Amino acid sequence: MHIPDGLLPVPVCVAGYAISGGLTWVALRQIHKTSDPREEVPKAALLAAAFFVGSSISLPIPPTSVHLLLNGLLGAMLGWYAWPAILIGLLLQAVLLGHGGLTTLGVNAVILGLPALIAGQVFQFRHRLTRTLKPKLLLGIFSFLAGSLGVALTVLIFFPLLVFTIPSNLNQAMEQGFLTALLVAHIPLILLEGVFTLLLCFFLLRVKPELLDP
Amino acid sequence: MQSFSHAICLGLKGSAVAAIAFVYAPLGAFAHGAHIQARTASAVEIQASYDTGEPMAAAQVHVYAPENPQIPLLTGVTDESGRFVFVPDQPGNWEISVRQAGHGDLTVVPVAEGGGLTEGFTNDIGLTPLQRVIIAGAVTWGCVGTALYFWRGKR
Repeated sequence: MHIPDGLLPVPVCVAGYAISGGLTWVALRQIHKTSDPREEVPKAALLAAAFFVGSSISLPIPPTSVHLLLNGLLGAMLGWYAWPAILIGLLLQAVLLGHGGLTTLGVNAVILGLPALIAGQVFQFRHRLTRTLKPKLLLGIFSFLAGSLGVALTVLIFFPLLVFTIPSNLNQAMEQGFLTALLVAHIPLILLEGVFTLLLCFFLLRVKPELLDP
Repeated sequence: MQSFSHAICLGLKGSAVAAIAFVYAPLGAFAHGAHIQARTASAVEIQASYDTGEPMAAAQVHVYAPENPQIPLLTGVTDESGRFVFVPDQPGNWEISVRQAGHGDLTVVPVAEGGGLTEGFTNDIGLTPLQRVIIAGAVTWGCVGTALYFWRGKR
């Protein structure tokens, strides 16, 4: 899900930086509005490490292999802090591991960070339904939704972006065929990350419930 | 008179050439004979793989000659092991791009006179698993340190 340098046209890379610049401004403003902006930094730092390492853990799903994204989890756990955590994680992955690229950093940040922010808002939406359902059931439903939504939205941004920017000198049908195979391979990951986020939330509910509400 | 006979002579020559062309052209178009010639050539083989070590099988390859880095001279597909072979016809920096499903790489292969790789050329083999573990450990420790610093400041 990390697009390397040289695959996307320059206008798309520039647009990626422009959108991610705007989102950084919005996220930092939202963080600044909180009573103590430093309060969530330890959690954000630890989850940024999990995000960084997660991309190196590949899961063989025939005919290809996919790697963990964890952006939905970061969105649920961190809210607006997920954006800077993902941005820093992506920068370190590009510079240290060669995973992704510096010219595509903006695009990759949008692909992974925007779904994380949406997943975060979805996770917080459970507070509005406390009168209709039990809190534990709500936590289960919305943690699963947030975890799987992060991956699903990433896939939904990633594939059209690549399909519409396939160079004309490339065999379009062949490239689209491989992209479809990669899309299908991500369906188990959508479910897996949903379940993982659910299990982590229930674990935190038992040991440190205050971490669930930033 | 002399010029008249020279003109006739030229005219005859012209019709003779035209007649030869007329007879020869259909023969060339309908010739079904084919020949294969073999010779030894110096080729460059590339091998593309993912970070996981898995080969990039059936990935699309574009080869750009040194004098034209815009339009690919050669296109093809890697085999099951991620390999692709081409014969460079001139020395210089040949650019090769391999792409599959939004993943790929672009590399420059310096070709010397005679078709071989330039002396001293080494492949960028990327990071070893040990290097990856060390980097992941260092980043994790950096993040834990950041977390501890802010957590301590909060107390």
